[in-house]
Amino acid sequence: MPVETSAEQPVPVRTAARLIGEWVARLGRVWVEGQVAQLSRRPGSGTAFLTLRDPVADVSLSVVCPRAVLDACVPPLVEGARVVVHGKPDFYLARGTLSLSALEIRPVGLGELLARLERLKAMLAAEGLFETSRKRPLPFLPRVVGLVCGRGSAAEHDVLENARLRWPAVQFRVENVAVQGVYAVTEVADALARLDKDPDVDVIVVTRGGGSVEDLLPFSDEALVRAVAGCRTPVVSAIGHEQDAPLLDLVADVRASTPTDAARRVVPDVREETARLSQARERLHRAVGSLVGHEQQRLDFLRSRPVLADPAAGIVAPRETEVRALVERSRRSLQHRLDRAADELVHTTARVRALSPAATLERGYAVVQRADGAVVRSPTEVAAGESLRVRLAEGELAATVD
Amino acid sequence: MSDDALGYEQARDELVEVVRRLEAGGATLEESLALWERGEQLAAICQQWLDGARARLAAAAGGAGTESASAG
Repeated sequence: MPVETSAEQPVPVRTAARLIGEWVARLGRVWVEGQVAQLSRRPGSGTAFLTLRDPVADVSLSVVCPRAVLDACVPPLVEGARVVVHGKPDFYLARGTLSLSALEIRPVGLGELLARLERLKAMLAAEGLFETSRKRPLPFLPRVVGLVCGRGSAAEHDVLENARLRWPAVQFRVENVAVQGVYAVTEVADALARLDKDPDVDVIVVTRGGGSVEDLLPFSDEALVRAVAGCRTPVVSAIGHEQDAPLLDLVADVRASTPTDAARRVVPDVREETARLSQARERLHRAVGSLVGHEQQRLDFLRSRPVLADPAAGIVAPRETEVRALVERSRRSLQHRLDRAADELVHTTARVRALSPAATLERGYAVVQRADGAVVRSPTEVAAGESLRVRLAEGELAATVD
Repeated sequence: MSDDALGYEQARDELVEVVRRLEAGGATLEESLALWERGEQLAAICQQWLDGARARLAAAAGGAGTESASAG
């Protein structure tokens, strides 16, 4: 401020306001782009007031617009439209408010918006934000599903209804936000951040029903696209659209064609899963059952082997046979020896007989013995009158020597 | 290892070995009888395992039945 002031020498309000006004007036003309958040035409008044809002940040400017400038707009200005305003910052002394005094307002055409969208898309694609490698898989069964949608919207109903049909126990954390208009980007991004921070939320669905290209512009907003790319939690986009997919579809981990499709993708079908589970269980049971059956067969086979099934036959009987055979052999060998002994006896008897004097006596010889049994071989061996015994073949007789 | 700690496959493999030795012959009678007794023991252990497995299968099948009944 080019004015010296102090507690003792303050300037009056009018002076301060005038000085601020002069300062602001020196800023000159600017071209500003934003979105019309509010538009109030006062009937009979030559001036209209509108609020120009930044589509991404929570920042607004008041714009004072002469009727003629407003009327010059083609197409006529509506709330939510993107505009470029040529204006001059102006300080309104009576109220001490700052506004932009509009000299010209140019609505940003659809063609221009789409062209910008294409440039943004190319830029984000070059950054790799849409790469398949960035896509995260969805959890099989999320603990909590975050849902970003319009309040009471058909999209909300479709997602909740269809997800519950598939998996009745599914839990949702619903964030109702503006899904079109000037607050859409910040509200959707904030809701996304809240859900992303929640550790229970395993997947986030961003949904809204179909709409015009302009209605869906927030879902192609760079800030929102980057917010989704930065999410820790997998994001499913389910934005109804006819032709051009909003950029959200490209950056999301999964792109669902409709809210119903989103429900189908985030939770499994309980009936289908139960059927699969019981099928797996059945197979498991069959597999183990056949294993047990197979092992039973092996065991039965082992037990049926003679050595185990009939140990008496397998172990004892061969030995019994062996013992019997041995007994038989021993008996046989004893018999053999007995027979041989008998033969020997007969033989020996014959020899004994052959050697005995009996045969000689048969032929008429006699053996003369003295009384003491000595055989007399010479006449000198006996004396007269001696008694002798004479042994003949068939007996003996006594004799006396003459 | 005590028999209680014997797994099915261990018991079965030992049983196979016992049968093989018995069938091969060559052991003394006393040894053979001891082998046979061991074989019977092993067969009983194997059977116990298999019976246990069947019982568990039956229990699981029964449990699955009630579960699906309550879920459906």
